[in-house]
Amino acid sequence: MKLGLPTFLRTTTFKLALLYSAMFAAFSAALLIYLYYSTVYYIRTESDRRLDLEFEQLGNAYYTGGMERLSQSVLERMTRTGSTYFYYLEDSSGRKIAGHFQRMPVAPPEVDSKTVYFDFDQPEPDGSMIVRSAAGKFVRLRDNGGALLVAFDTAQQTAIVVRIQRAIFIAAPIGLILSLLGGVLISRGAASRADELARTAEAVMGGELGRRVPVRGSGDEFDRLGQRINAMLDQIEKLVDATRHTGNAIAHDLRSPLSRLRNRLEIALSQPLSQEAASATLSETVEEVDRVLSTFNAILRLARLEAGAEGERVRMDVSELAEELAELFDPACEEAELSFKSQIARHLMILGDRDLIGQALSNMLDNAVKYTPAGGAISFTVARGPDGTIDLTVVDSGPGVPPEARQRVVQRFQRLDSARTQPGSGLGLSLVDSVADMHGGKLILLDAGGPVGQPGLKAILRLPRA
Amino acid sequence: MMAETLVGDNMRVLVIEDDAEMASFIEKVLMEAGHSVDRAMDGERGLELARATDFDALVVDRMLPEKDGLTLLKEYREAGGTTPALFLSALGDVQNRVQGLKAGADDYLSKPFAPSELAARVEALGRRQVGEPQVTSLKAGDLEMNLLTRKVTRAGKKIDLQPREFRLLEYLMRHAGQVVTRTMLLEKVWDYNFDPQTNVIDVHISRLRAKIDKEFEEPLLHTVRGAGYRLQG
Repeated sequence: MKLGLPTFLRTTTFKLALLYSAMFAAFSAALLIYLYYSTVYYIRTESDRRLDLEFEQLGNAYYTGGMERLSQSVLERMTRTGSTYFYYLEDSSGRKIAGHFQRMPVAPPEVDSKTVYFDFDQPEPDGSMIVRSAAGKFVRLRDNGGALLVAFDTAQQTAIVVRIQRAIFIAAPIGLILSLLGGVLISRGAASRADELARTAEAVMGGELGRRVPVRGSGDEFDRLGQRINAMLDQIEKLVDATRHTGNAIAHDLRSPLSRLRNRLEIALSQPLSQEAASATLSETVEEVDRVLSTFNAILRLARLEAGAEGERVRMDVSELAEELAELFDPACEEAELSFKSQIARHLMILGDRDLIGQALSNMLDNAVKYTPAGGAISFTVARGPDGTIDLTVVDSGPGVPPEARQRVVQRFQRLDSARTQPGSGLGLSLVDSVADMHGGKLILLDAGGPVGQPGLKAILRLPRA
Repeated sequence: MMAETLVGDNMRVLVIEDDAEMASFIEKVLMEAGHSVDRAMDGERGLELARATDFDALVVDRMLPEKDGLTLLKEYREAGGTTPALFLSALGDVQNRVQGLKAGADDYLSKPFAPSELAARVEALGRRQVGEPQVTSLKAGDLEMNLLTRKVTRAGKKIDLQPREFRLLEYLMRHAGQVVTRTMLLEKVWDYNFDPQTNVIDVHISRLRAKIDKEFEEPLLHTVRGAGYRLQG
């Protein structure tokens, strides 16, 4: 801005256009110069060839009939209509025998047959003289000492060359101007598209999160860039919404236990309590605070996980961990009157964080135990999945998750209404999802294929095999 | 000196913690558990005290003025200090735990923690110092465990245990008379540093209890409400 240049002059596109103009100009110059010289060369060689032809014919006359025949031939040619040649023939003493000129108009060159250039005055019918330019060849006659000059008017030649020169001098600047103009137009177009991007970015920064880059549908690189940026903005908007939702959910989820706490303490304060009642109140209070703290810890953990600040991945035997967890959960299932079956393929290796994978699997198993009514069944299988993956699958015979809600339940604090009566923070599956993400895998939720109303949930944690 | 005299119920514990309220809380918890407590408010002073006096256990906060907890522990261990240490940190993630243990801590506890958890862990530390000599058998009341033959008997009657139950009982017997928390069992018996949520530990304990207590008059394995379990010594 300091220089006050129009925006487009500072754009990369304009600089590129300038570079291309320079390259175009250099190329054009080379082409024109080549054209010029090759034309001039062609004209020269053509006239040389025609001069040589003249000499050949005059030479024949000289060899067959001597000086006399030659001068006759010269005179004939001088009077031939349409002839563009000039002739001059002199004898050994330098006297004129025949020809257009009063005397030899040019000094003989050192070497015969070298082209000579000269000017001469030509009388016009009205008596005035005009200066003409000619090019010709000079040949000394053998055995005689005389000399013959054949020349032609170079006016025509000069006219062609001049025309070419003029074309070059006119065309070059026009070409240069056009290419510069093209550069300016292109870069102004690009600058305005870039400005659109900048304006959108400013609007978004200003809080207008719904603003998008206009896309023209031409499919050019600006459209593609715009589409990417729009997709990015969609993602950001989604994340911001999620964060906002999380904030609200935290507020909501923590407010009720905190206000319960406050009420309980308030009541305890307002009336004299027996020792027994006081300690009962306090221990309930501690339990409530512990729940709040554990929710906080879960949120913190999830946030750290999503920020990539937690977990260290090493090569580990996930089958072994799964076996242990199966052993850990088996009695808990029995206690809850659920049948538990596990089928675990041996020695499947992954690149993972043992604690995080353990937590994720525990969450899946815990969910199954929590939501499956007594008398139900839970199965835990670990097997090779498609495309070099390992599927860690927990299937229960509980109420399942309807297809339209599956996206939602992996989000933070999202719980099905039917699940609200159960203890839990609503963070369990979010953590599984985040752990899956961090390990380059995914969490898949499916119907377990049970009867209507009790389809069961099939949760698959699919991780890449190491 | 006989082991029994050293592991008397009252230990001398050095608490190195700069937050006055937290330090008072820790002191109170430990004193209620029957220990005597010395306090240091910064890392330099803490290291000085730890070197000068023969404590039974150290409780070291991670964030300290003058010298942070990690450095303190490292220097203490490098100078040959052997007193077992419990490392406290507000940042309860895995990396911090690993760092603390690497620096020379024997156990790790993240804030906030329940008083019973702190008391149980400090107690477990104190025993550790003398519980290490090569023992081949453990005894708690009339319950006996042979670590070589892996045979467990109560009042001479053989008890069959699954491998995991054996390890669970072994840990409880090594800490007989002490309260052990669920988290401690998860960490030490299962080597889990995560929370499996469901009351899995309770279930395993009740199975073990069915095997060692059911047919006997006096129960050995007690549930301590709000804290954990205790195997009667």
